[in-house]
Amino acid sequence: MTVLAQADPNVVLIPDVAWSSFAPELAPTFMALVLLLVAITRGREQIVAAPAGLASVAGGVWLVTQGPVVPGAVAIALGVGLPAAVFAFPRRTSLVQAWGAGMALVGALVLTGWQYVTVLDVAGDGSGRIVPQEALAGALANDGIAFFTRITVYLTALIVIPLGYGYLQDRRINRAEVEPLLLLSVVGMVAIATANDLITIFVALEVFSLALYVLCGLARRDRRSQESSLKYFVMGAVASAILLYGMALLYVATGSVALGDIGTALTLVSTPRIVAVLGLVLVTVGIGFKIALVPFHLWTPDVYQGAPTNITAFMAAATKAAGFAVVLRLYLVAFPGLQSLWVPMLAVLAAITMLYGAYLALVQRDLKRMLAYSSITHAGYATIGVVSVSDAGLSATLWYLLTYAVGTLGAFGCILALERTRKGEVGLLELRGLGRTSPAIAGMLSLSLLSLAGLPPTAGFAGKLVVFQAGLEAGLTWLVVIGVLSSVVAAFFYLRLAGQMFLEEPDEGAPVPVQSTGLSAGIAVSATLVIFLGVQPQLFLQLADSAVALVP
Amino acid sequence: MANILTITIALPLLGALALAFLPEGSDDRAIKVVGVVASAAAFVASLVALAGFEFGDGGFQLEESFAWIPAIGANFSLAVDGVSLLLILLTTLLTPLILIASFASVTDRLKGYVASFLVLEAAVIGVFAATDLLLFYVFFEFTLIPMYLIIGIWGGKDRRAAAVKFFLYTLLGGLLMLVAVLYLFTQAGSFGYQDVLALELSQTEQRWLFTAFALAFAVKVPLFPVHTWLPDAHTEAPTGGSVFLAGVLLKMGTFGLLRYALPFFPDATVEFAPWLLGISVVGILYGAIVALMQSDIKKLIAYSSVSHMGFVVLGTFALNATATSASVVQMVNHGLSTGALFLLIGFLYERRHTRQISAFGGLAKRVPIMAGLWLLVSMSALALPGLNGFVGEFPILLGTFQTNRTAAVLASFGAVLAALYLLWAYQRMFHGPLEGADNENTSDLKRSEIGVLAPLVILIVAIGLYPKPMFDLVEPAVDRVLSEVGVDTTLDLDPVASTDAEG
Repeated sequence: MTVLAQADPNVVLIPDVAWSSFAPELAPTFMALVLLLVAITRGREQIVAAPAGLASVAGGVWLVTQGPVVPGAVAIALGVGLPAAVFAFPRRTSLVQAWGAGMALVGALVLTGWQYVTVLDVAGDGSGRIVPQEALAGALANDGIAFFTRITVYLTALIVIPLGYGYLQDRRINRAEVEPLLLLSVVGMVAIATANDLITIFVALEVFSLALYVLCGLARRDRRSQESSLKYFVMGAVASAILLYGMALLYVATGSVALGDIGTALTLVSTPRIVAVLGLVLVTVGIGFKIALVPFHLWTPDVYQGAPTNITAFMAAATKAAGFAVVLRLYLVAFPGLQSLWVPMLAVLAAITMLYGAYLALVQRDLKRMLAYSSITHAGYATIGVVSVSDAGLSATLWYLLTYAVGTLGAFGCILALERTRKGEVGLLELRGLGRTSPAIAGMLSLSLLSLAGLPPTAGFAGKLVVFQAGLEAGLTWLVVIGVLSSVVAAFFYLRLAGQMFLEEPDEGAPVPVQSTGLSAGIAVSATLVIFLGVQPQLFLQLADSAVALVP
Repeated sequence: MANILTITIALPLLGALALAFLPEGSDDRAIKVVGVVASAAAFVASLVALAGFEFGDGGFQLEESFAWIPAIGANFSLAVDGVSLLLILLTTLLTPLILIASFASVTDRLKGYVASFLVLEAAVIGVFAATDLLLFYVFFEFTLIPMYLIIGIWGGKDRRAAAVKFFLYTLLGGLLMLVAVLYLFTQAGSFGYQDVLALELSQTEQRWLFTAFALAFAVKVPLFPVHTWLPDAHTEAPTGGSVFLAGVLLKMGTFGLLRYALPFFPDATVEFAPWLLGISVVGILYGAIVALMQSDIKKLIAYSSVSHMGFVVLGTFALNATATSASVVQMVNHGLSTGALFLLIGFLYERRHTRQISAFGGLAKRVPIMAGLWLLVSMSALALPGLNGFVGEFPILLGTFQTNRTAAVLASFGAVLAALYLLWAYQRMFHGPLEGADNENTSDLKRSEIGVLAPLVILIVAIGLYPKPMFDLVEPAVDRVLSEVGVDTTLDLDPVASTDAEG
């Protein structure tokens, strides 16, 4: 605003945009657009790839000369990389798409690191926390939540792409729009994690939701996939409407859409409390749909089961991270004034979610459905961190989502390997004797399941540990005990899967899971992360701790 | 030697790692060699630790600590006192013997079997050596996975149900303990043993936390009425699994009570001690009576474990230097004698493929060595003076008598019943007329089998005759724990003197 005030009326106004605050998102955004253009060239990809690459390289060189070396280098690398991929894989558009998207995500991760080192650098006051950055006139908050969600979401997408590549090809649904849509939804997810006013939150939510609706229905000839897409769309639209209504009420009550201003207004006596509370409740319902808290979870099993498995994996891991990012920001920045109201509300929802999700997962036979219910349970655990309303709770939630993401990616990766051998779904019985026929897949699947169950020494244990710790510090002992009980129930069904694999003998002629380079790499990376985050969580825990810094 | 405890934990893990990288299709001999060498190396390492241990000091020794997760204040800290060192020695002694004894019967997926045992051994040593609560918890829970696999893959007919039952019972107890551990962390700001020990907790806090810890360990011991997983697990587990379970895993429970529950929550300990004495007595008598009624010899020994471990808990909560020290000694004795019995049952099962007592009869004529060893080990289990069981059980009863007469009197009936069920089973199996071709053709122990049993039998006799070194190792540490609880340890009888006089 100051720029406008001081500007000479004869000079063209260039608003002061802090590019650095959303630099990581630029890479996937541009890559998505270029890949869409590449797709329509029908075999002559270089027509698009070469000029786009050239432009990118030119931009990168300019950036390097101007100062920011790392973003420039990323731009140059992407500008060289995409045409190179086109050159290396002639007439294999889907492979080019996968490589392009993967490179963009690596670029985004590099830029996230660069951002951490330069703009967000840990404050010198000895607190070990990053310095949050406010941008676009307060619409964006590039802070701890944004930073850590970037890591989780980008990493998830980066692992999902190789996981799903072969699967999409097998089912002939490797359509040109898959990777661009995936990238766009990634950008939407990160945008919602940085959004600092209600409008931006809503737009970002729609960006990634719309992309996901389409991705769920990717297998057009599969009725389950159609059902999944339609159900997700209808339910999502209803949830969006409720959310929007809640936001409108909040605006009515507080006169602002900026989260910080809402937070201040809600502490004033002059604010109409009834309207504000109604707005809070409606927003909670709308967000509850997105993160699948019981009783707003009803869409989850059908959508997860019907969607192409790689998309399910992505949804389970990344949507949850994005959803909880916005939950954290909304409740910690905008609603502290109503804390006495929403803390018990969310705590009860979390308790119900943990117990009910675990109970329903018990009776499932289909693996994807079971993991869908398990994802519901995990939303409950993550909520413990939110209702702790503390720095420890905030970093615990962010950390928990990362540990959940790696475990769930590993599990879905193994399911992908199993699914590729058969057209149908993978049930409990299909796992019989997998430990004998393909010990590697069985081992990795068990490892991921152990992590989801939260047993040491896996990432899931480290996640639960920190969340429980935050809950206990906040005095929520009852909620933590419920979490523990639900963990035991959950352990039972994860264990049942492991039992099918290792304790049973394989059926005659049971098909052997297909392993391809991409799939194996994806599973191996997730499994490595599961162990690494479990045995040596220090690095990422420290990052999560440093992320406890919000734009007020 | 620096970092000897870490080395002791690392050696079996290295063995497991070596197995993982063993080329596919390499013959079983290589697997066996790696397994035995790694576990024997761990035994040697624990002997080195013993050599570096200073007797008479009740505090932690051989301490080592590395930063692990500074973000939440957890360290990789290890140290031993007399109690934990003794249990580590028991673990590292039993593991190579178990592996050697298993090679004859386990042929399917041998690599996985050996690797599971090595990992299990490392985790158990970690449980005994950890002085950081989180590290302890991680090791404690981690023992579940290999044991689950050992029961579930290499077990008997109903192995799956038994494995799952074992896993879930222990997990539930363990997770409640995790909540308590985390609560202690929020109070102390650290997971370190000494920091938590220094906490001043209110009576209410102590009650809840003690309950959580005691429940986790009671499942492991197992105490009546949470013992129901044990008979199943014991019966279905392969011989090696049963030996390890009885010999080492159950001790994690009694060890945990002594190391954590007592000194952390002294007021609650004193308050709840009569209850625990009562539960122990019920367990002693119940286990013994149920054992008496078993027709399956392995199940009989499994229930006798419930009874014998009841004695250990009885001694622990008698809160008296005589009884509590003896209960630690009894942990080892039970490991040796029950371990040896399970090995003998395993050898017999390999020959006959049945465990029904009624299927045997008059075997002593055909298998004199087995019968002799069986009798000796049974005598040790029923606490015959001169053998190791006596030097544990008698002081437990003696010490308990000083603090709670009723409990001691009732518990002594358990000792009588033990004689009854063990000798009756021996009589039915080994004496009487030799009938049936199966009994006629049963062959005696092979040299390798005797070799596996020999160390155990030697220790059974040696400890029975001269238990002083063990008491010397254990007593200072137990005194330290009891002084935390507020028990005056100077006035009590000297258990060594008393046992020497009686034995």
